[in-house]
Amino acid sequence: MAEPLFDSTFLRKLDRLALLTRQIMAGDMQGERRSPRRGSSVEFADFRPYAVGDDIRQIDWNLYARMERFFLKLFVAEEELTIHLLIDSSASMDWGEPNKFLYARRAAGAFGYIALSSLDRVSATAFADTSRQLPSVRGKRGALPLFNFLQNLSAGKGGDLLATCRRYVQTNRNAGPLLFCSDLMDDNWQEALRVLSSRQFEVTVLHILSPQEISPQLDGDFRLLDAESGEAVEITADLEALQRYQENLASWRAEIERFCNGRGINYLQVNTATPVEEFVLSNLRQRGVLR
Amino acid sequence: MSFLAPLALISALVIGPIIVAMYLLKLRREERTVASTFLWRRMVRDVEANAPWQKLRRNLLLLLQLLLLALLVLALARPFFPTTGIAGRNLILIIDRSASMAATDVPNSRLEAAQRQAIELVDQLPDGGRATVIAAGGQMEVPAAATTDRRQLRDAINGIRVLPGNSDLSPALTLAAALSASEPESEVAIISDGNVRLPSDLRMPATVRFFPIGTRSENVAISALTLQPSTAGQTLFAQATNYGTTPTSRRLDIYLDGSLFNAYNLELLGGRDQAIVAEVPAQVRVVEARLVDDTGSDALAIDNRAWAVSNLGDSTVVRVVGPGNRFLETALGLLPSVQPQLVPASTSTFTETAAQVPVTIFDGVVPPTLPPGNLFFIAPIGSTAFFSVTGQLDYPSLRPATGDDPLLRNISLSEVNVLKASRIAPGPWARIVVDGDGGPLLLAGERDGRRIVVLAFAIQQSDLPLQVAFPLLISNIMSYLAPGSGAEAAQLAPGQPLAIPVDESITSVRVTLPNGELVDVTPQNGQAIFADTIQFGAYVVEQRQGDRLVGRRRYAVNMFSPEESRIAPQSELAVPQTSGLQQAVTQERVGRQEFWRWLAALALVVLVIEWLVYHRNGLIYLRQRWRARRAA
Repeated sequence: MAEPLFDSTFLRKLDRLALLTRQIMAGDMQGERRSPRRGSSVEFADFRPYAVGDDIRQIDWNLYARMERFFLKLFVAEEELTIHLLIDSSASMDWGEPNKFLYARRAAGAFGYIALSSLDRVSATAFADTSRQLPSVRGKRGALPLFNFLQNLSAGKGGDLLATCRRYVQTNRNAGPLLFCSDLMDDNWQEALRVLSSRQFEVTVLHILSPQEISPQLDGDFRLLDAESGEAVEITADLEALQRYQENLASWRAEIERFCNGRGINYLQVNTATPVEEFVLSNLRQRGVLR
Repeated sequence: MSFLAPLALISALVIGPIIVAMYLLKLRREERTVASTFLWRRMVRDVEANAPWQKLRRNLLLLLQLLLLALLVLALARPFFPTTGIAGRNLILIIDRSASMAATDVPNSRLEAAQRQAIELVDQLPDGGRATVIAAGGQMEVPAAATTDRRQLRDAINGIRVLPGNSDLSPALTLAAALSASEPESEVAIISDGNVRLPSDLRMPATVRFFPIGTRSENVAISALTLQPSTAGQTLFAQATNYGTTPTSRRLDIYLDGSLFNAYNLELLGGRDQAIVAEVPAQVRVVEARLVDDTGSDALAIDNRAWAVSNLGDSTVVRVVGPGNRFLETALGLLPSVQPQLVPASTSTFTETAAQVPVTIFDGVVPPTLPPGNLFFIAPIGSTAFFSVTGQLDYPSLRPATGDDPLLRNISLSEVNVLKASRIAPGPWARIVVDGDGGPLLLAGERDGRRIVVLAFAIQQSDLPLQVAFPLLISNIMSYLAPGSGAEAAQLAPGQPLAIPVDESITSVRVTLPNGELVDVTPQNGQAIFADTIQFGAYVVEQRQGDRLVGRRRYAVNMFSPEESRIAPQSELAVPQTSGLQQAVTQERVGRQEFWRWLAALALVVLVIEWLVYHRNGLIYLRQRWRARRAA
């Protein structure tokens, strides 16, 4: 049994948070979020002429008295949202100190818990070479299955980021906020993000890097082996090479950020050295993801 | 380039493969698993854009180590270039230190160039090789004799200073011949500008190599400066000579008693001289002439200054004992500081002291008792304590002595005919200045502290008085007998001792040197001798009786030596050797210039670079820190 993802005090703090969405999205069941559809709530939305078959209980009789024609009074529907948690569980994530994969699971867990506590639906998927999905859960009751799912996840081998994203987008009917936790260390990261943002998902990319990746502590001649592909790169790590690595990293992150900004994707960088609690409670609120 | 120890190169074959093998072993990199090589791949892609240089950079340490090895092995093999130098084991170095070696046409001076060359030669000596250092010019010196101690040799060479004297190599070469005759594998190296006097009859038993020093010949010198009494005051005569070949211009500044009197612009053609004649007041005591060189082409500075002194008013009393001789009296009358005192031939007792009458001339008479002081006998009729007259010579021919006797300075006696002369048997004190058939005709020498000159024939018995040589001969003789009385009496050559005849009553003689130093000379045997006339300039000699000053004379020491002022370097030196060579060997490449020290030094530099490359991270870090600090 892996250690619990959170302690109870952190969960109580999470209770006070709520997920913000920028778009109004439709859901399946009645919930607490405004939907683009008309439905039953206390908030008036519009009138429309009566058509045969309409529920006569919705006819606005005051208006009929004035106009002598039937109009239906429409109200804003309040529906649930489906929050998608997409966790990269490739071997490259299971690396670093603190571990990136653990970090991704905890961040996803916190995110999911916040969503569940506001009666939204949460669907969690971990993907590597094979993907595992948690059937969507709803309400606080769903927190336990979510946490169990996340806790029992283990990192797989490598995987095709682009194919996974494409399949996910095609198979999931309900668009909604999507949290994508990955280190994006794939040649096709651009294509994958484009696929995710192509539908109505409101994508938030959580770009997780470990301190060892942000500033590697290497000195000497090394043969670096890729954790996923086993591919080797020979480097001579001197200060100059490390400096070039840093420049490279910075330009890569800037490139991702530029790409995301251009497509309305929320891009969040996180160093696993930052505690999850601090990241969720302060950084995410600052970025306007949570309230 | 050749090697002294080529076998050392083999060591490269052993150590080189070891270095390469170690490098190949080190190439096995440490393996490390990372999350993804994604970012590293990107970096390596950047790096490979300038791959050739990067590849080289990766191998930089290996290349540096191989270079270091190559340098060290080369140094061990002791490479050398053949140079002009020496090949023997016993080196006799003759270094010219005459005035012309002070020329500055080569860096610093010719003497310093000679010293550098000498040290180079000493460095080329094989292990256990010995060297002797002879400083020639002026008084010969041997500062290091047959020693293997390089430090001593170097100190000896560096201790040599320019001595403004003549550059006669004869004593040095004679000594070198004697030294090399007893030692096999000897070599004589002459380091000089070639303006030297060489012995004609010496045959060197060893190889003589000549290392010429000097490049230019441009030199203008003051070749004459005299002060003569005239009717109005004194007449100054100054002459500047261009010893070089190209026309040049100079300014001649004349200082009277230390203050500037006049300046003359001189235009001097190559090899020509120019004279200045000026009237100066009678009270002037010391005249200094300076050649000012605005062109900067003058290579020798020490002959650009000259001094002349005036002893007007102080004249020497010369007693002439004889029947009267018009020629002699006229010649004496021409000498400015000689006061002839005619005494009848019958005089036989002399009461004056040597201080009152320093010189006595006996013209055809020999008194039974001779007076004190210096003596000049002309045609003596009888023997004295100094010589004996044994007969008579008829029509003797004159053969002046070789060398430059001061009595024969500027004189040619080849035209002189003598009717008859006394046959004189000289004592051992005398040197023969002019020889004749059957007996000497002119003798000079010193005995018991007095100078004696004997002319064997009567002036009237020859055509000498009708020739130019006569007044000059009398002047030279008077300069010798009474220093300070001849025409050039107050002029001394550097190193020429100053002998002042003094009385018994004189207790001390004080000499003031040009640099203000005072030297007290104690008179001995009726004369005070001061020999330290190395400095150029005006000397003041004061004679004292206790605290009382009784006489003061001035002397000027000048170079006035065309031999030294003519500084054109010679490329060859005629030194006959027993091997049959008539010339000293020049420019033969027998020396070995080793340069392993430079290779070793270079290896050290490479080692430092290798070390720095190995620690380049630290250097980059330091550079960044420095930049950050500069930016801040």
